[in-house]
Order: sequence, then C-alpha cells, then structure tokens
Amino acid sequence: MNYPFWEVPFIGSGWVIGMIAIFHVMISQFAVGGGLWLPIAERKALREGNADWMNQVKKHARFFLILTGVFGTVSGVGIWFAIGLTQPEATSTLIHNFVFGWALEWVFFLVELTTIAVYYYTWDRIPQKLHLKVGWVYAVSSVCTLIIINGILTFMLTPGDTWLSVAGTGHEAGKFWNAFFNPTYWPGLLMRTLVCITLAGVWALITGSLIDNDKQPGFKAGYLRWTTRWLVPSFVLMPFALVWFLHMVPQSQRALLSLGMSTIGAGTFSQVTRLVLIMVITSATIVIITYYLAYKNPQDFTLAHATAILMLALMATGAGEMAREMLRKPYVIGRHMYSNGTRVSEVAGRNQNGYLQHSLWVNQNTSAHFAEGEAMYRGQCGSCHTLTGYRSLNKLLAGRDRESVGSLLTMLHEYKPETSYRKFMPPLTGTPEEIDALRDYLYAQSTPAPPAHPAPAPTLKAQK
Amino acid sequence: MFDRIYKWLDERLGLGELSALARHKTIPLHSQSFWYYWGGISLFLFLVQIFTGILLLVYYRPGAEAFESVRQITYVMHFGWLIRSAHSWCANLFIFSILVHMFSAFFMKAYRKPREIGWFTGIALLFLAALFGFSGYLLPMDELSYFATKVGLQIPSSLPLMGHFTTNILRGGPDVSDFTVQRFFALHVVILPLLFLPLLGIHLWLVQKHGNAVPPREGARPASERKTVPFFPNFFQKDLAMWLISLNVLALLASIFPWDLGKQADILSPAPAGIHPEWYFMAPFHMLKVLGNFLPGATGEVAGILLFTVGLALWVVIPLYDGESVAGSRGRNAHYFGVFAVTALIITTALGYWGIR
Amino acid sequence: MSEPILQVSPDTAIVETESTPTRRAFLGVAAAAGLCYAGAIGYPIYRYLSSPAEMAANETAVSEVTLDKAQALPLASALMFKFGSSPAMLIHGADGSWVAFSAVCTHLGCTVKFEPELNRIHCSCHGGVYDPHTGKNVSGPPPKPLKAYKVNVGTANVVVSRA
Repeated sequence: MNYPFWEVPFIGSGWVIGMIAIFHVMISQFAVGGGLWLPIAERKALREGNADWMNQVKKHARFFLILTGVFGTVSGVGIWFAIGLTQPEATSTLIHNFVFGWALEWVFFLVELTTIAVYYYTWDRIPQKLHLKVGWVYAVSSVCTLIIINGILTFMLTPGDTWLSVAGTGHEAGKFWNAFFNPTYWPGLLMRTLVCITLAGVWALITGSLIDNDKQPGFKAGYLRWTTRWLVPSFVLMPFALVWFLHMVPQSQRALLSLGMSTIGAGTFSQVTRLVLIMVITSATIVIITYYLAYKNPQDFTLAHATAILMLALMATGAGEMAREMLRKPYVIGRHMYSNGTRVSEVAGRNQNGYLQHSLWVNQNTSAHFAEGEAMYRGQCGSCHTLTGYRSLNKLLAGRDRESVGSLLTMLHEYKPETSYRKFMPPLTGTPEEIDALRDYLYAQSTPAPPAHPAPAPTLKAQK
Repeated sequence: MFDRIYKWLDERLGLGELSALARHKTIPLHSQSFWYYWGGISLFLFLVQIFTGILLLVYYRPGAEAFESVRQITYVMHFGWLIRSAHSWCANLFIFSILVHMFSAFFMKAYRKPREIGWFTGIALLFLAALFGFSGYLLPMDELSYFATKVGLQIPSSLPLMGHFTTNILRGGPDVSDFTVQRFFALHVVILPLLFLPLLGIHLWLVQKHGNAVPPREGARPASERKTVPFFPNFFQKDLAMWLISLNVLALLASIFPWDLGKQADILSPAPAGIHPEWYFMAPFHMLKVLGNFLPGATGEVAGILLFTVGLALWVVIPLYDGESVAGSRGRNAHYFGVFAVTALIITTALGYWGIR
Repeated sequence: MSEPILQVSPDTAIVETESTPTRRAFLGVAAAAGLCYAGAIGYPIYRYLSSPAEMAANETAVSEVTLDKAQALPLASALMFKFGSSPAMLIHGADGSWVAFSAVCTHLGCTVKFEPELNRIHCSCHGGVYDPHTGKNVSGPPPKPLKAYKVNVGTANVVVSRA
C-alpha cells in the first residue's frame, strides 16, 4: 500500500463514506429536484396570482437554502475527506482521470450556492419575472452538478472497455469522454433524476405538512396534492431504469447477484436480495402513505407522516446505494482496481516481488513476522473487513485451525475461476512468506487464547 | 355485484348490526391520542408472530433434532433465514410494544372503573407473552438459548416451597435437556396460544365495550370541548398506517440484521462468560443478582423474588387502589409509582447490560 | 350497502376540498401497493415452502455420471468430478478398493479433500475428518457421513451412480 491505512473501529472506514454519502445523497438529490420544484411552483403561483402559494414557495425556498446550503455542502466536502482517507488509491485515479470534470463541478457548485442565496434574499425585492429567471439559473446549474457527478460515479462501476484498454498507459486523458459516458452513465442518470424528482416532492411534503389547515382551509390540500404528483414519475419509470442499468453492467460483475439470493451467508451473499426486498417494501409503503394520506386526506397530513415518508425514502435510497456498492465488488473501479487498492495490472508483480515492497507504513514495535502479517491484513483486508466489528474476520474465521486459515488464503491467492469468493473478493497478492505471515496474524486474532481461569458459574447464585 | 354479496351475507350473519356498531365507534382526540395506536401495533405484531411461527413450524423438529432443524431453516431452506429473523425480531418488537402499551395505559389511568378487567387481562397477557418469549428462546438449542434458559430457570426454582418442584416439571428433569425442548415446544405452540387467544378476545371485546379511556385532565374538560374522531375510516386508516410502519421496521431489521445461530449447545461445557437472558428479563435478572450480593445465601434469592413479586402484585391491583375518577392523592401516588416502576426497570436493565461488558 | 362509509362526527368536521377521485384510483393504488407487498413477502415464502421440492428436483436431475478412462486412476489417489451440480470424489484405495462420495462436507458445505498419505478425507474449512473407505465422519465438526455413491468399474470407464 502506498498510503497509510485508516482504521475505524467497529464500522470500518468504508461505512464512514457510506454514512456521509447516503446522508449527502438525500440532500443533494433534493437540491437538484427541489431546484426544479421551486421555479416551477413559483411560476404556477405567478400565473394563478395566488398569494398563498407564493408565500409557501418562499417559505420552502428558505428551508431549501438552509438545508442544502449548509448540510449539502458540509456533507459533500465530508465525502472528499472520507474517500481520501479511506481509499486514497482510487481517489487518486479518479482525480487524475477527471480533474477537468471535478473543476467544472465546483464551478457549478459555486453558481448553485450563489444563485440560491440570491433567489431567496431578493424575493419581493426584484421584479417577479427576473426573480423567476434566477430560480431557473439555479435549477440548470444544479442539474449540471448531477450530470457531472453521475459520470464519475458510474465510471467506478463500469469504466468501459475503451478506457480500460488505455488504463495505466498514461494516455487515459485521451479517453475522458469514453470514460465519462460509460455504459451505465445513461441508465444511472435516469435513475438519479427520478430520485431527484421524488425527493423534491418528499421534502416539499415536509414543509407542506406544517401548513395550518384551520388558518388556510383548502390551500393545504391543493398544495399537498400538487406536490404528491412529483412522486409519480419515479414509481412508474424506476423498474425500467433498474433493468436498463443492470443490463449495462458487464456479465462478470452481474454474477454477484446470482451468488446467494435465498441463503443467508452472514456476509455478502444475500445482501443484494435483502436490499431489493427493502427497496420494494419501503417504496410500496411510500406509495400507500402518500396516496391515502397526503393525497386523499391532506387535512390530516402531519409532520409526523411527512417525516415517516422521508425516513422511508432514506431507507430506500440507502438500500439502493448499498446495492450499487455491492454490485461493484470486488472492484472499486470496475475491472481496473480492486476494493483494497490493488490494481488488476499489479497483481502479477506483487505476487512476484512481494506485496509489502510498497508498504511504507509497517509497525516497528513488534516482531517482524507479526508486523508483516498485520501490514498484509491492513493493506489487503482492512478496506472491507474489521477484526471485531463490521464483517468481523474473527467471527468469519472462528473455529478454523491455523491450517484451514492457510487454505482459505491459498484459495484467495490462487483465485481459480470456480472459486465463489471471486465474485466479491480481490485476489490475495504477495509472496508465500507474506501470506504465511498473514495466516499467522489472522489465526492469532481469531482464535482466543485459552482462558487463564475457568469461566464463572451462572451469576444468579447468591454469595455465601 | 359487491352489493349483492354483502346483502346475501347480511341476511344470514347480521352484518348490518356489526357495521352499525362499528360506525358509532369513536376515538378521543387529544394530545395523548398517539398512545392509542400501541394496542393495535401489539395485535399486529402478534399476528405476524403467528404467521411466521406457522412457517417455522413447517420445518422445525423439537427434541434431539432441534438444532439441526433450525440449522436447516437458517442455512439450507430458501429464505428460511429471513423468516426466522422476522420471527425473532418481531418477538422483541412485540414485547417492547406491549410494554409501551401497558405503561401508556397506566399513565392515562385506563385501569380505572369500568376498565379494571381490561387491566387484569392485559397483565395476564403480558405474563403469557413473557412465557412465549422464554419458551421460544430455547427452541433452537444453540449455546445461547441453552445457557440463557438454564440461567433463567433459576428464577422459578428459587421460589420458596414450590420452586424446585415446579421447575423440574417445567424442565422435564433436573437439567435442561431434549425433554425440556419438547415441553417448551408444546407450551409455545399449543398451550400458550390456547390461553392467550381467548384472553386476547376478552381484552379486545372490553375495549370495544368501554371505548378508549381519556387521561384525567382531558376527562375533566366539559364534553362539548372534547374532540373525537370516527374509528371508520379516519382512525382505522391511521391504525393501518402504523401497522404498515411496523411492518417496514420489522422488514428492515430482519433483512439487515439477520438472527444468528450459534454453536450447538454442549451440555458438558461451562456457561459462557456474561450469559444473560433477553433484554425483557434483564431487569428481574439483575435485581436478583444485586440482592444476591447484598444478602447472602438463600435469603438473597428469596428476598429478590419477593421484592419482584410484591412489586408486580402492587402493579396488578392498582385499579383497586386508584379506582375513582377523582383527582386526589391516590391518583398522584399511583402516578409516582408508575414513574418509579418505569425508571427502575430501565435502570436495572441498563445496569444489567453494563455489568456484562 | 348504499350508505356512505364516511361518517361526520358531531365534534369533528371532515372537509372534502376536492372532488373525490374515483373508486378505481383508490383501489388501483391499493392493488399496486398490495402487489408489491405480496411479491416482497410472498416470493420468499413460496421459495421457503418449496425448498424440499426444489432440492429433490436438483438432486434427482442427475442420477449417473460416466467418467471416461477413470479405471486407470492409480492406487491411493482420488479424482474430483461433478455429480450434477455438486462436487464429488472417486477414490481408488491403496488396497485396490473403489469408492465414491459426495465431496460436500456435511458441516457447512465446503469441498473436502482426499489425503492418501494421512489415509483420510479432510475438510480444510474447520478440520473435519472422514474415513476414506466408508465416508463416516470420524473427527471434527461434521455431523454426518459423506453421501456414498455406487461405483461400477468398467474396462474403459467408471460409472458412478446414486446408491
């Protein structure tokens, strides 16, 4: 590993990205969808000369400004911190490959933040038609940020054969557009756009639920009913988008889905199945609550209901993002770089010359053998596993003796085509000595030392 | 066409009378109305337990093959892990829901006249639910179930006079064995349901008969100021929505945190360190432990049991103490007793887990 | 059943602010959502209940495998092959005997290995050991013996079939 390893207890560094990113997606995709919602709602208010509507849109704009301006930006930057610490190798590749794209993204972010502030603070201060135009500028710049980031995200799953053919040669920049408009770009863009539109509706339901029906009878109903329609496109088109998306993923990577649909595997095996289950159930629930409450009984629609919808949307989104992450395994950049930072092209070299040749950060305070094993673990296993927390290796290896830990590592090292581990784990690279060191390290960690004293008797016996 | 079918049934079953009754049912609307959902949520979770329980029954084999059958369910049968996880998680959610329901009913003083029998049946249902949980827990016969049951059975066995006798009958011998599994299975699948369902029926009928209780402060307001909402369709829709949320929460928990299966119980090995019963038994478990440290020997155990029994008895007979719908010292005392009970339970449960770290 | 279900209670007024959508929409949404639920819950339950039937179908799909040239397998060695979809092993013992077993460990399903120098069948996942002549589980976590097949040694092949 060229970089130091960031060890996060219990959850592992990957989940730091996961938690920040899922939070960010809920807000940023709202920023894009809401960016369309605001000028469209404002235009409706203008056309109908409806002061109630205009007032409500202004309130929602304030909510929008604070939520996206503060939490969206902070969490977006948070993702940068997290990915840089967790997976610097892949981050480096993405930066080198898409530096122009990132720069464009930031330009649009600046435009976004500026225009939304202008949009809110010039309300009632500049002519209405001009104000509406500011809203549209925001909407366009926000959509652009989605258009750009989608290229980078989908690239990670499917870089596409063209880019892969020049990867590592130094000529990658020449294939920028191929990498950007990669196989899953368009279905991914459709899916995310649908989610943006839905989230615009969901968040507008939050502010809408606060309308006091007694003070403004009739208005709440009209507002909520208009907003619920924003949730419709997603439910109609999402299944199609999903099928299209999966169709564009290479067959070798799609194999993960068939690994263990119906069996437990305490690990990855049935993750995708579970996530699909969650997405279907939560989506159906959102439909029910939105239709029967927000649409048919808007006067009874409270903040609690709107929050329930928001939470369900969070679950569905989180599940979807996690499923996408799972699908990409064992790579962090599809067919180019494995999840632990080792490039496909580096495997042969590392097996020959040793993995630890590149490990600059090795524990100096223990025996060399132990330090080797620990460094192997941190570099090659630590990106997806912890010892005692998430995907606990101690738990997964429990009950194996030293020899069987070794056979598992050998299986991962030989990486034969019929090994089912191939579907979600990278090959184990290194010399036989390094692999033995890893075996001893993992065996020592996962096998508890025999207890010094016998286990205490059940604790209910009163002391004599 | 639906109208014709309805008419045919109505002429023979008197559905019209039922729907007239239903149409008159109203639910009081006030700041504490949220708590009215929890009885329905408990009912829903119980129905889920019956459903998932029957599915598990299809492959479960009590007795010597218990562990193997659960292993097959978890690792071999398609989606068996999901059904088992749903059943285990729902058991915990069910008991949590019942406790919320009970305490909210307590603080709303829904045990006062004429609802005392509703309270008594409710307590009996709580007791049966705890037995459901305890008996079900053993059925997989993995290490955790086996030792948790062994430890848990020390509670009844330390009852004075009848303790050892009843525990041996329950356990089917001096130790937890295959006989125990089969007895607990009979208890869990036949005996407890036969007791639970009629009691539940009575409990629900009483709620329909007396309607929902309102908290004293709300009851003190003049009738013209009190708001109600019809059960059909308004409250019923919201009730269903809460059921839906519960279903979603359960689906999430069961999918993302599937229930583990430990190693097969080895009766010769010592209890693992930190063995403890499930969270809903943690409070009495910890209380007994603490008292056992203070008072040595059998005195400690008996004192622990007595303390808990007395507390429970007071809890059960609270309607006889605080029966009048009049604000007074009894009402206040009962309220404080409730606060004390909740706090004590939460603290002892937390301390119990703290002690295991 | 001509009376409306909606009842206005004397204490609460329910305001219908827009013409009620048709019953078809009401039921349509319920049906669509219900279908999602039925699918998400019903599919796992269906697979669960049909597991034994599915497993039986998988098993009986293949009843016999012919291994060409396997009669030339040297003494004290094993040949790994596929019986249907699962791994199996043909062992030509040091004493000249022929046996065939399923190579799926009865503990947690790993593939076992024949170790002639130690005269055993060993599972490297958790150290389970089976007798190489009878397939019986002799040590470690496996709860049951390996499933045995019938072996018919011919002049140009070996035919392995269900016992």
